[in-house]
Amino acid sequence: MKPEDLVFSTLMLPLLGAAIALCGKLIHSHKRIAKSFEYSGAIIGLALPWVALILLGQQVLRGEIITGVVGNWYSGVGISYQFDGLSWLIQVLGFTIGLVAWIYSLGGGPKGPAFTTIFLIQTAALAATIITTDLFNLFVCLEVMGITSYVLIPTSKKPGASLAAFSYLMVSASAMVFFLLGTYGLYRITGSLSYEGISLGLKIISPQNQMIAIVSCTLLVSAVAIRVAVMPLYGWLPDAHALAPHAVSAVLSGVLIKTPLFALSRVLMLFAQGPEVGQLMSIAGGVTALAAVIIALSQKDVKRLLAYHSISQIGYIVSAWGMALQFGLETETGLFLMIGAYLHALFHALFKGLLFLSVGTTIDATGQRNVYVLRGAIGLLRKAGERVPITFFTFLVGALAITALPPLNGFVSKNLITYGLNNSYLYYLLISASVGTVASFIKLGRIFVPGTNTKPSRIKRIRFRSRWVAQLTLAILCIIGGFWTPTVIEIVAKLLAPHQHMVLTAPELYTTDSLLKTLWITFGGIILYLLIQTAPLKKALTMIRTRPRNFKGLFVSFSLGTAALALWLLV
Amino acid sequence: MVERILLLLLFMVGFWGIVGKKHIIKKIFGLNILNNAAVILFIVEGSRIGTNAPIMEQTGSSIVDPVPQALMLTAIVIGVCITALSLALAVHLYKISGSFDIDTIRLKVQDEA
Repeated sequence: MKPEDLVFSTLMLPLLGAAIALCGKLIHSHKRIAKSFEYSGAIIGLALPWVALILLGQQVLRGEIITGVVGNWYSGVGISYQFDGLSWLIQVLGFTIGLVAWIYSLGGGPKGPAFTTIFLIQTAALAATIITTDLFNLFVCLEVMGITSYVLIPTSKKPGASLAAFSYLMVSASAMVFFLLGTYGLYRITGSLSYEGISLGLKIISPQNQMIAIVSCTLLVSAVAIRVAVMPLYGWLPDAHALAPHAVSAVLSGVLIKTPLFALSRVLMLFAQGPEVGQLMSIAGGVTALAAVIIALSQKDVKRLLAYHSISQIGYIVSAWGMALQFGLETETGLFLMIGAYLHALFHALFKGLLFLSVGTTIDATGQRNVYVLRGAIGLLRKAGERVPITFFTFLVGALAITALPPLNGFVSKNLITYGLNNSYLYYLLISASVGTVASFIKLGRIFVPGTNTKPSRIKRIRFRSRWVAQLTLAILCIIGGFWTPTVIEIVAKLLAPHQHMVLTAPELYTTDSLLKTLWITFGGIILYLLIQTAPLKKALTMIRTRPRNFKGLFVSFSLGTAALALWLLV
Repeated sequence: MVERILLLLLFMVGFWGIVGKKHIIKKIFGLNILNNAAVILFIVEGSRIGTNAPIMEQTGSSIVDPVPQALMLTAIVIGVCITALSLALAVHLYKISGSFDIDTIRLKVQDEA
């Protein structure tokens, strides 16, 4: 098999699986046959691509970049794609979380061939987003990714979920029109849509066209930034992620908000203004990390609290990613920050997926989502049929990882980022965000502390087996990620910068310094938690929670964000 | 130039429909108008270099740029998908809340959530 075919199979296999799963929908009168179609579709779409990824892994580790044109057209006419280390890393992230979330959905719902079909199409779109090297194709991939998530969010059958999906659809579809306008601008001045052609064209454009290039760049970046949910473009995310089914929440938070970001880095590298955009994005990321964690502290719905933490963590990733672009991947600091950004994206997908699934299991069993009411969840889960407190264990792993306690994976990636950002104002923003993270996970962890607030009558017996498999897999991956750090960092460095013979010395992570810092952050978090129990701060947090949020706000913030970016680039 | 100004107006109408109107069906109309403005812009761009349809057998010379037209076919298909989906969501929201007004829906949904 040619390597080009292998690359192509990573997106064709999920699509084939989707088609097979859809056959199950057609013959729904025979339950068993329908199920076998659905399961074989899922295995083809989610498990088989791993074979391709393993085979491709050996090639990209050698530094080979596989390029090709769909349907063997001439390059320049057909749709071109490129598979390099970054593509491999993002696809590994996507297929890991996709497989685990699908297994969880067998027990936790939503079930059925229709769900599996849409889920597989989404996975295919994810795989395609990161290998495309064509601006219009990127538009199509982003749209397919969006459309599938507008369908998946309301499958939880919660009334709020439909509204969340509608708001997300409106704001994101309008933003994609702006993306199209950006594409138009670049096509007009360079006469090309492939990254290669655009990059060549941008080098020889006249000064008056420079302005069009900047405006196009702004439109592209702000449309993608909506998907990534950086402040101030985050408004659609909390409702959508909180009200989606648990398995879908895990994928949305884990994969869907990060893939566009890394795909954007390819586009930004074409522009001379890329580093400047990176700088603004890194500032926005730092602010996002802190502001979102404050809002998270004020939430009372358990899943909405987690959703705000996703925004906060994406803030970490964006700030490291932006700084990496600012320095350039050729420099050691830049490469280092990019490794930090990717590792945090991967590890966040693992532990946030884990948290969404564990908390989701708890919600399903106890029928209670209020963080102030739900108490004694271990006991309640036992009544629901869980004899060994696995859900508590997996929640604990996830919570310790997100608060960056050693030796779990969150400690590694957060320390890499803060190490790379050392001595800049972003460093302090991110450290204060970490303090808030600790405080809000103490708050969330209290749902497992014994208490008697919940009515036991609402407890439902649920099926645990597939949920356990999914949760334990993610928990084990979180622990492995923490212990095998040097190997993981080495591999990621090799993949992100294959042709650099820079000796990248992985920093000693378990120094007295970093351990002391962790200790102080944890200590600060505990104090912050105690502080928010006092009356004035409680009142302030309630005000933050009940702040007015409406549909118009989404568009106002989008316009303001775009204008700010344009001003930043022009002035 | 005139067509570009008209397109800008069309674009603004669409954007105003999405942001300013409270009725969600009108918002969906707005999204369609917005999308079509972008589509027509691409077609206008393609017609800068020629006037004939890009069918090679008939007219060899003075054809429009075929790439924008090919792209816009895809964009129109995506637009139809989005419209269908948003209308389905609108019907669903109407069934839940009995209203097409976005503020009323938000209030109703929050009560039930």
